[in-house]
Amino acid sequence: MCMDFCGPFSIELLKQALLYLIASCVGAFLWAPLLTKLLYKYKLTRRGDADFTLRGERAGKIGTPIMGGLLVVVTVTVITLLFNWQRSSTYVPMGAMMVAALLGAADDILNIFGIKRRERKLKQIWTLIRIHRHWYVRLWYFITFPWHAFARAVAMLGSKQNRGIQVHEKLFLQFIAGSIVAYWIYFKLGTYWHSVHIPFDGQLALGWLIIPIIILFVMFTANAVNIADGLDGLAGGSLIASFAGLTMIAWAEGRPAFTLLNATVTGALIAYTYFNVKPARFQMGDVGSLGLGALFAVNAIAINKTLLIPILGFIFYIEAITVILQVFSRRLLGRRIFKMSPLHHHFEFIGWSEEKIVTRFWLIHSFMVVVGVWMALY
Amino acid sequence: MLSPNAQKILADYMSLPFPGVTGVRCPYFINTRVGRRGQIRSLIGKGTPTEIVEEAKIISIQYQHGLFDHEGHCCIDDERHSPHCHSERSEESLSKHKIVEDSSVVSLYQDDRQNDCIRRFLIDNQLGIDCSGFATHILRAHFLETKKIDIAKKLVKNIPAGLTRKIIMRLRPVESIGVKSGYGNDRNTAKLGDETIGYDFAKIQTGDVVVMLGVDTKNTRNHILVITDYDGHTIKYAHARAWSSEGKFGHGVNTGEIKITAPGKGLLAQEWTEISPALSADLFHQANANETFGEAKNAKILEIRRIKL
Repeated sequence: MCMDFCGPFSIELLKQALLYLIASCVGAFLWAPLLTKLLYKYKLTRRGDADFTLRGERAGKIGTPIMGGLLVVVTVTVITLLFNWQRSSTYVPMGAMMVAALLGAADDILNIFGIKRRERKLKQIWTLIRIHRHWYVRLWYFITFPWHAFARAVAMLGSKQNRGIQVHEKLFLQFIAGSIVAYWIYFKLGTYWHSVHIPFDGQLALGWLIIPIIILFVMFTANAVNIADGLDGLAGGSLIASFAGLTMIAWAEGRPAFTLLNATVTGALIAYTYFNVKPARFQMGDVGSLGLGALFAVNAIAINKTLLIPILGFIFYIEAITVILQVFSRRLLGRRIFKMSPLHHHFEFIGWSEEKIVTRFWLIHSFMVVVGVWMALY
Repeated sequence: MLSPNAQKILADYMSLPFPGVTGVRCPYFINTRVGRRGQIRSLIGKGTPTEIVEEAKIISIQYQHGLFDHEGHCCIDDERHSPHCHSERSEESLSKHKIVEDSSVVSLYQDDRQNDCIRRFLIDNQLGIDCSGFATHILRAHFLETKKIDIAKKLVKNIPAGLTRKIIMRLRPVESIGVKSGYGNDRNTAKLGDETIGYDFAKIQTGDVVVMLGVDTKNTRNHILVITDYDGHTIKYAHARAWSSEGKFGHGVNTGEIKITAPGKGLLAQEWTEISPALSADLFHQANANETFGEAKNAKILEIRRIKL
């Protein structure tokens, strides 16, 4: 097998990719019942008392296991570690996925078993700095004051206090993870990774600027997939199209490691989505959405298609942008742009069924992935 | 008379434009106690009737209260009702409904029940309008139509503030206008008269405002009435208010009038009439309940003012 570089459109590589896809799909199908059993056993399920949205028509989702994204994350990790582990290529994407998935897993678990944390306003913290009886507590609050200010600023943008990891903490940890990936890519993997492909134009060498771009895309994409994971089957089905698109691009460019990695993810996602369509047998959870979102971004960056991420991940970006627009419109103008955000909730609000929204979003997303693949060839 | 658009907004506040439901009077809500910051304006007592209706539908569907369907139609009926429908009045309507067989009366009680439910829902979810927000929306529509001037943008320009607040006020003018800062401000409005210097009632026009500053003992609350019509004898006004005698669920937008019975004297010497839609005539008289007049009497400053255009 040609593991370092194959020619473009290599039939040998295509055969390998399809084999990986089939293997991961079958593998995921085989251990899905075990995963479901484990999730039920450890009560990793959605709880009605912690989620106000689970009422009325959505009450049926109470008790559905979350962390179903483990099906994809574990399957991909095992297959890649055993058959496609290369320091120069799959090392970084897998590392990014693992870090993001760990963060997501911690959030999922804390959302179920964690306790609601106390939220202090800046004024209260400032009062504590002045009047607390212990000098070391006063000092601690003084040192951590900027962190609390950051937390309040994020909270003002609409994040709600819940049991899991807070949004500002998530952003910070994602930034750390993104920075490690960017550092690794920039300093360890050589100049090949320092440029971006501009469709219809050519390559643009960015030098160190690639670092903030990588961080931005990894963070944004991971969160965008997380936001889109709000309806049964939506994120899973859309990710199939995205990773299939990346597989095609990598295959067309003759990059075997990434072709096989993306094909592996596509196969596992097919199995996952089979169980995730409404009524879902399990849901992806942050472990899957953050992990796969990060993997998608890093894989696209790795095959030098950074600028095509918003097209290959069209529906995720649209969903995330609607959230941003809604928050800014609400805070700055005092009005709503959408009845609810993200966008799938807007359509749900105006009376579209869950199946209709998901199917239409899949179709639109698949079309945009085709456009992205076409653009990638130029 | 107010301009047609302003009249439409007033009518909408008096009967919020819920599809298929009429007669839901907009409740009173002021954000001072709740202290919501940077929120949607219908959640801080500054929304238009349409925005309040839209927000009510969104809250109902989002939190599964079951008051509205996805098309926005009210879906309260006898078999399926929300927790908001358990007022005494609603129960009373329900029992009468079972007894009375005449279809028109049944329909009347159903409307009554729907109105009760929706009003309770709005109040429970802190949706409503405060006096300055109400005045601003009415006057904004009136002067936009008659003088082509957006008074909201004009008023906020003269409210003293730092740079950040100025930017916020440019983005959210209606929310930034209070009674004292917006309408009691000499740079925005001209005083037509007060209780000490007296009033020239002949000068009063539709679109003028009655400003009351310091209507409570702590001197912190202010109030505003919008003059909707004046025929030389009677000042008709509209305002958003909460009378204590009307309890938790009776308050809201209302209209009233001041008959000029003693032209040479102040406003307090005139005859103030305002009927409470929530109180029966007996209760109204027992409570001695024209609290608007009571507030006017308590006000440290009571003035009629005109917006400088």
